[in-house]
Amino acid sequence: MASRATPLRPGRFLPRDPRSEAPYRLTPQLAFRIGILGFLALTVFGVLFFRLWSLQVLSGNQFLQAAQNNQLRLIREEAPRGPIKDRYGRILVGNASATAVQVWPADLPHRGAYGELRRLAGILRVPLGDITIQIKKHRGDPITPVTVKEFVREPQIRYLYEHDTEFPGVQVVNTNVRRYPYGDLAAQILGYVGEISDIQLKQTRGYRLGDKIGQGGLEASFDKTLRGRAGLDQLRVDSLGRPISPIEPKVPFTPGYAIRLTIDAKLQRAAQQAIVNGINIAQGNKNWYAKAGAIVALDPRDGAVRALASYPTYDPTVYTTRKKKDLAPLLDPSVAQQDSFPALNRAIAGLYSPGSAFKPVTALAAMQEHILAPYNTLHCTGSLTIDGHKFNNWDPNANQWMTLPTAIAQSCDTYFYQVGKSFYDLPGSRQPLQEWAKSFGFGAPSGLDVGPELGGLVPTIEWRHKTFTKKTDPGNWQIDRLWKSGDSVQLAIGQKDLQVTPLQMARFYALLANGGKLVTPHVVAAVEQGGGPTGGPTQGPLVLRRFQPPVKELNLDPNAIQVIREGLYEATHSALGTSAGVFGHFPVGIAGKTGTAEKLIDVGGGVLRLTNTSWWCGFGPFDAPKLVVCAVIENGGFGGEAAAPSALHVFETFFKAKAGVVQTKKAD
Amino acid sequence: MVDYAASRRARVRPRARVRESSYVRNLDWALLLAVGGIVAYGIWVVSGITKDDVPGNPNYYVVRQAIFAAVGVAGLIGMSLLDPGFWRRHARVVYGGMILMLVVTPLLGKTVRNTRRWIDIGPFRFQPSEFGKLLLVLFLAAFLAERGKAIYDRRTTLIAIGLAVIPILLVFLQPDFGTAIVYAAILGATLFIAGTRWSQVSALLVLGAFAATFVLWLGPSIGVNVLKPYQRERITGFTNPSRDPSGSTYNITQATIAVGAGQVSGRGPNGATQTNYNYLPEHATDFAFASLSEQRGFVGATILLLLYLLVIWRAIKVVTLARDAFAAIAAGGIAFMLLIQIFINVGMTIGMAPITGIPLPFVSVGGSSMVANLLAIGVLQSICVRRR
Repeated sequence: MASRATPLRPGRFLPRDPRSEAPYRLTPQLAFRIGILGFLALTVFGVLFFRLWSLQVLSGNQFLQAAQNNQLRLIREEAPRGPIKDRYGRILVGNASATAVQVWPADLPHRGAYGELRRLAGILRVPLGDITIQIKKHRGDPITPVTVKEFVREPQIRYLYEHDTEFPGVQVVNTNVRRYPYGDLAAQILGYVGEISDIQLKQTRGYRLGDKIGQGGLEASFDKTLRGRAGLDQLRVDSLGRPISPIEPKVPFTPGYAIRLTIDAKLQRAAQQAIVNGINIAQGNKNWYAKAGAIVALDPRDGAVRALASYPTYDPTVYTTRKKKDLAPLLDPSVAQQDSFPALNRAIAGLYSPGSAFKPVTALAAMQEHILAPYNTLHCTGSLTIDGHKFNNWDPNANQWMTLPTAIAQSCDTYFYQVGKSFYDLPGSRQPLQEWAKSFGFGAPSGLDVGPELGGLVPTIEWRHKTFTKKTDPGNWQIDRLWKSGDSVQLAIGQKDLQVTPLQMARFYALLANGGKLVTPHVVAAVEQGGGPTGGPTQGPLVLRRFQPPVKELNLDPNAIQVIREGLYEATHSALGTSAGVFGHFPVGIAGKTGTAEKLIDVGGGVLRLTNTSWWCGFGPFDAPKLVVCAVIENGGFGGEAAAPSALHVFETFFKAKAGVVQTKKAD
Repeated sequence: MVDYAASRRARVRPRARVRESSYVRNLDWALLLAVGGIVAYGIWVVSGITKDDVPGNPNYYVVRQAIFAAVGVAGLIGMSLLDPGFWRRHARVVYGGMILMLVVTPLLGKTVRNTRRWIDIGPFRFQPSEFGKLLLVLFLAAFLAERGKAIYDRRTTLIAIGLAVIPILLVFLQPDFGTAIVYAAILGATLFIAGTRWSQVSALLVLGAFAATFVLWLGPSIGVNVLKPYQRERITGFTNPSRDPSGSTYNITQATIAVGAGQVSGRGPNGATQTNYNYLPEHATDFAFASLSEQRGFVGATILLLLYLLVIWRAIKVVTLARDAFAAIAAGGIAFMLLIQIFINVGMTIGMAPITGIPLPFVSVGGSSMVANLLAIGVLQSICVRRR
């Protein structure tokens, strides 16, 4: 055809051919091609129709049988969770194999399923209601088994094996459970593993019904790292759902990665023991309500947590065995209260008034604001009256002119009342003490890599204004909402509204120890692959990721920090120092401060009693600090009485040294 | 564009005003009823298939599917009111928009099962390649109609192929092999209806056959892998399903069992073990037809096929009514687009076509496919209303 001659206009995307606008008609050629299209369509449908006929009508029976005997079953094989190791590679959380009993809902008999489950519940001593609820939850997913009980004992397994024809759809499988070789060591940090809840299933992605997931502590915050990837196995089963072929792995699982902590298991053990010792001392001093405490040990150079202890504690194995009696203190609020909340991680989520242990914060802030000359003396008296209110010193007989180091060493309250008053008297609307406290890390979570961490409270004018309103405080709101001189005075010695966690205090003392750098505390040092029990013994683990959270330089006056360090050293070494009796004879130079915070507690039946939270925070060796320790004993009496000897115990383990003579005294 | 004096005159007749009464009278009611029937039937079937898919919400997919159908019907009405000449005049915009959508998809898209086909818009997922099918038909029809008699020119065919290869490659790289095949089929169908010479059509067929052979068998044997191994396995697997029943041909084995087990009257939504116990993967989307056959049997499957046949027949009828070349080519392209999708999807579940993930028109769960196909029906209606 001569169409070659048609010019294609250059430079145009869609050149238009005028002839196309000629009246359009159905040419025979087009009709023919439409016919071909129609024929093609008919052929396609004809072919599909006859194929369906052949499949469904002619050989339908055969396929029906194939469907009924569908013997291929894909089962998920859970990956072993990665271990959690301490800084020296000791396994804190490993895996142990256990025997679990599972029910395949699809294979339960149509009649008599209820009776079978009731028998099973009786044998395994699991409430029948729990099983039926579980099965109901899995209704949309009948080929994923329901785990009725992990950790089933040998005689029960043997019984099930002997009577397996009476239990169609019930299967005994091997499973991995968490093993805790160190018992209750660092339980609140490690967390535990449990079956995923409905709420978690909705909130997370990539998890399925029946999956195990970390339910707290590191197991939760590092779940994605630890869990690995499940594999797929193929299994042939008979019509009762019983396996008739060995399990054939299809997709191998990927074991979870290990995480290595900064925590030293030995020091952690010592810290936990130290709290118990502190409590025993406190009880010996007739502080009967001393039942709990916390210790934080930090490396002041990089914020690596060496020990993070909270007492009372528990053995996480109870989450595996799931005995009701053992779980009650963790899950039942009223039992938990009786047992002083063992699940609470007091080191990061316990809020306390720091008392005198806060005085270095006040001193540092005052020097940074140039309202305190450290070597000018102020009069330390037994009490001080400010704006008509009389504020007492812990030692009513004090009467001496003091420099700042001496005031810290002897923990003179009246000295710091005067500093607090100077803050209050500053002109303008700034609140420098609060601002400095916040920049030292108070009033906000420190960013620790395991939760749940609380931020505490640094009281400010705005906070008072917001908190005390007509609704919350109908009697005195008009007075309470104002910031008064007494508030500044009390804040200066860490009393009244101020609330801190032991970790925040340790972080601040680390700042004093390292010369003004604010560290980010962390417990996880690295994510590792292999090594340990999963890798070969000869090859070490491969480090996939290392965590070194930032250290923030605050550019503080080095002289100011030096003065405070002097005061802290005097506190542990001069004759009148508040914890000199405890640390004075320790071979390594320790510097630190006691604290005693008054607190009203409800001792039951609405009876209120005034008790003291016992604090000690400090670091050593004095010249090049390697360890900061902060100890709290709830209701333990004076800081020098209970918390200081606790902290000493941690230093003794860390420096492998013994203190010669230890004399506690009732000193704030 | 430049208007020719001749064209002004020629426009008088096809542009005859469409009065409302004649609009309603000229609609292809058989086509509308058939499509409506398939949509309604599809929603009913989906309710049985997906009742256990979202724990605690048996109606999750049905509700979504009904919403999509409603959106699609609105779009269908809109399309039918629009003069098909609109698409012809804005062919360049159509092409540019299609390319833009397909380029943007991998950039903004979410990776789902190793492919990037979807863009998340609010709670919904938008799959541009589904709409791209219709846009490709409209663009190619406009391009070929503008060429008029130059259609016999080899260069026209080559340019058409060149322009179509870009979207085909973009879709192929997502990777979405099935949809790329549909795009290629659209190219072939529009060329065919437009009147490309038989010699060129047969050359194209031979070339296509050779390309397929190369991609599937020859290439891999000399180490050139165009397809990912899993794709090749699934495509070649249908020729020999019993080779590896648990691996690459697991899907086809299970799908065939599901279809066959449905027998004449089906096993019902509760007895369909293949669907309910997830032996059959993707039973709401790619393997919806297998699920339907298992639950509703030969009777149910045949009803659907007959409705499809009615739709295709009416679509081909529209080709003969078209007022101009553009409308005829567009109608033919849409008819073939639907036909190839039906064939590949139904065929793959009964072992007659390779396993490629393309949805069953108007039935598979998925908003983009539903809306795009209803829009295509809308274009057919608009062509039918403004008939010769």
